[in-house]
Amino acid sequence: MSSESSKKRKPKVIRSDGAPAEGKRNRSDTEQEGKYYSEEAEVDLRDPGRDYELYKYTCQELQRLMAEIQDLKSRGGKDVAVEIEDRRIQSCVHFMTLKKLNRLAHIRLKKGRDQTHEAKQKVDAYHLQLQNLLYEVMHLQKEITKCLEFKSKHEEIDLVSLEEFYKEAPPDISKAEVTMGDPHQQTLARLDWELEQRKRLAEKYRECLSNKEKILKEIEVKKEYLSSLQPRLNSIMQASLPVQEYLFMPFDQAHKQYETARHLPPPLYVLFVQATAYGQACDKTLSVAIEGSVDEAKALFKPPEDSQDDESDSDAEEEQTTKRRRPTLGVQLDDKRKEMLKRHPLSVMLDLKCKDDSVLHLTFYYLMNLNIMTVKAKVTTATELITPISAGDLLSPDSVLSCLYPGDHGKKTPNPANQYQFDKVGILTLRDYVLDLGHPYLWVQKLGGLHFPKEQPQHTVIADHSLSASHMETTMKLLKTRVQSRLALHKQFASLEHGIVPVTSDCQCLFPAKVVSRLVKWVTIAHEDYMELHFTKDIVEAGLAEDTNLYYMALVERGTAKLQAAVVLNPGYSSIPPIFQLCLNWKGEKTNSNDDNIRAMESEVNVCYKELCGPRPSHQLLTNQLQRLCVLLDVYLETDSHDDSVEGPKEFPQEKMCLRLFRGPSRMKPFKYNHPQGFFSHR
Amino acid sequence: MERAVPHAVPLGQMEVFQALQRLHMTIFSQSVSPCGKFLAAGNNYGQIAIFSLSAALSSEAKEESKKPVVTFQAHDGPVYSMVSTDRHLLSAGDGEVKAWLWAEILKKGCKELWRRQPPYRTSLEVPEINALLLVPKENSLILAGGDCQLHTMDLETGAFTRALRGHTDYIHCLALRERSPEVLSGGEDGAVRLWDLRTAKEVQTIEVYKHEECSRPHNGRWIGCLATDSDWMVCGGGPALTLWHLRSSTPTTIFPMRAPQKHVTFYQDLILSAGQGRCVNQWQLSGELKAQVPGSSPGLLSLSLNQQPAAPECKVLTAAGNSCRVDVFTNLGYRAFSLSF
Repeated sequence: MSSESSKKRKPKVIRSDGAPAEGKRNRSDTEQEGKYYSEEAEVDLRDPGRDYELYKYTCQELQRLMAEIQDLKSRGGKDVAVEIEDRRIQSCVHFMTLKKLNRLAHIRLKKGRDQTHEAKQKVDAYHLQLQNLLYEVMHLQKEITKCLEFKSKHEEIDLVSLEEFYKEAPPDISKAEVTMGDPHQQTLARLDWELEQRKRLAEKYRECLSNKEKILKEIEVKKEYLSSLQPRLNSIMQASLPVQEYLFMPFDQAHKQYETARHLPPPLYVLFVQATAYGQACDKTLSVAIEGSVDEAKALFKPPEDSQDDESDSDAEEEQTTKRRRPTLGVQLDDKRKEMLKRHPLSVMLDLKCKDDSVLHLTFYYLMNLNIMTVKAKVTTATELITPISAGDLLSPDSVLSCLYPGDHGKKTPNPANQYQFDKVGILTLRDYVLDLGHPYLWVQKLGGLHFPKEQPQHTVIADHSLSASHMETTMKLLKTRVQSRLALHKQFASLEHGIVPVTSDCQCLFPAKVVSRLVKWVTIAHEDYMELHFTKDIVEAGLAEDTNLYYMALVERGTAKLQAAVVLNPGYSSIPPIFQLCLNWKGEKTNSNDDNIRAMESEVNVCYKELCGPRPSHQLLTNQLQRLCVLLDVYLETDSHDDSVEGPKEFPQEKMCLRLFRGPSRMKPFKYNHPQGFFSHR
Repeated sequence: MERAVPHAVPLGQMEVFQALQRLHMTIFSQSVSPCGKFLAAGNNYGQIAIFSLSAALSSEAKEESKKPVVTFQAHDGPVYSMVSTDRHLLSAGDGEVKAWLWAEILKKGCKELWRRQPPYRTSLEVPEINALLLVPKENSLILAGGDCQLHTMDLETGAFTRALRGHTDYIHCLALRERSPEVLSGGEDGAVRLWDLRTAKEVQTIEVYKHEECSRPHNGRWIGCLATDSDWMVCGGGPALTLWHLRSSTPTTIFPMRAPQKHVTFYQDLILSAGQGRCVNQWQLSGELKAQVPGSSPGLLSLSLNQQPAAPECKVLTAAGNSCRVDVFTNLGYRAFSLSF
């Protein structure tokens, strides 16, 4: 402020101090250009130290004058005013001096600042220059490094090593004398040689290609020649067929079979191979054949585009028409089910011939999506069989192979993974489709080499030859025994329905000559009816009456006594014996719960069955059991102790020879027949 | 009922045969070991099974505890009767009596200590032995059965000392009258005969079927069971179960049981009987039926009371008969569980 004010006042001061004759007021700017008093110049001339002394002196004077004025004022008087005025004027002068000194100080300060500022600006300029130069230096350095790092394309080429180069390159390229010394020349020479080599190799490549074309053409020609040979060979084979037949060497037939066998799915193939092997090696009565359409089997593996290309137009039309009629949900599901249960078009047929010229025909199918095998069975006999009413189920295709191995009822799929597939298409169980598709017995899977470990669904089950081979012999034997025992039962049932118990001559020794009780009725009963009978509760509770068994009711009569026998026939007859439960109606109803002797009779027939088996293969077991039942009833009725209180003779006089009538705490009757002495005793 | 119904297991030939055997099994006799912890049961196939009563009665008993500890083939024919001495188990069935050591019997492959056959008259058929009786004072064993005689055998020497004849048909049961000492025998001929052991003579005969109050001709006249309590005797079978006063040979109480009884015994102040029909019957001496406790077999043939002082925790009544099960009654009011062959 003060410097500004001093600047503004400067022209006034200048005019009042140094202006000689001019009294005109002009603009300060213009006047400053001309003759003017420069206080700044004065500053340079004066010495700041002296100014400082002057300042101190002035302040002192001022203080003194003020003190004097103070004194004078306090003294009072007339001439005081003059003195005071005097001193006042002197103080004013001193004040003027102080103001000047103040201005000078300000000017000095401003000068100093200006100088500093200038110097600083200079320094800044230099600094900037320095920065610019440094930047340029850096830039140049970068450029230099870039240049130094430059890699030329020629360095990427993998050149042969130096020694090789000198060895192989011809002298006009390698120019050893020039290149040895000069690396630049050397590299040039090497590049040159590289180019040479590449040109040569390209040549070679073209040559080889043309060679290859030539050879391919030759191969084509030869192939055509060979394929033209094939029909000629075929015709020769055809011509040789009659010769083969004449000589009984059906190689052609076997060959054809093997041909079709190649299209079989793996499990059926395993079965085919193992069965043929077994038939050739061990069992001449087994014959194997493949049935079905080979073309369909081939079509299964053909990619679908081939067929579509041919009929693309008609397909497109068909698609459009079918799209208009949307199939209903039920039909869609049905189709999905059919798709899931689809069978492979080829099937393997096994024919087992038994001793009496009856044949068991087994047809094995493979369900592709479910990865299981099924079988359909049929029994044909040499002579026409008249089926007795009770024997309906014995040879029916549905049940003739049931429980070949214990528990193998063939109504459930053996592959645990199938359950998930069934859930998707709404199939509850395979049982509903079994009649159509065949039974998926476990032994069938084993013969095809398929092994399904329980509770562990596997993704792919591979057909295993060793599994099939290990089961083949047992299964074939079991199948034959099964067919023969069923046929034997068939014949026996025919006789039983007429009331005759057919006992063969070699089993006659088991029974006395005279048997009075007669078999009057022999019928089948249903499983549920068997369970409802009051005297079969023990068997049911012991778990021996399952729905895979066959149930019959026999009625034996003598006089007024009627003996009902409910028979459980296990499919594994005759290795598993039939089980009898008895109910006697004579003088009251007697069953095994209220009469110990009835219990003993059941025991004689059920537990002691091994004596009744007869000669192997023990097909006589059932009939012998029935005959024994008649004998037991005779003994029971005749040895009944006479009741003294009742009048009249016994209904059944004792004709059997018995040593003792009763024995033991339970007072058992003598049920055991002794041959050849012909008397009855106790066990 | 803890009968398991094994539907899931496919039944092969072996399983079916074993199931049939079990269905047709009859347990004829029982005997408790001298230590009181084991029960021997003999069946109609000639097998003897030893059950551990202490294991089956303990609080940690599982299903296996109700199975026999060991089963072995003792005889060719049925084992109709068994008794235990303080060291031996004596079993008898088809004509001969065998002895087994209780200490050895739990080991596999146990062999009989000795076997004896009384001198029989007939040679055509070997008669069965239906009843065994121990006479502790004389250290002898009395056998009776199919040949209608009572044989006494000295247990030390094994020699057959006496043969008491008198019955006209085979003998079912024996009982010992301690005081005299006398033996009572009941047989198929319908008579109960008393024999004096010192003189080897028949002292008294009671022909039960001749008394109208108790005879039941439609059942027959056979005496199936006998028990005696010094002056009193209870017998049953074809005729009704009756309590007799021996000295006067009069029937005092007739128990109204229709089914023939096969076993009877005195117990404290009750009479326990069992026979055809599922139940063990408890009678007051006055003739009133105190309780009928059903068992698991359709007919019972033997009752056994385990009163051995060495094992008071195994004091149970066991009943067996026309099945493969032995019912165990810990308290006479109900059947606790069944042991099974």
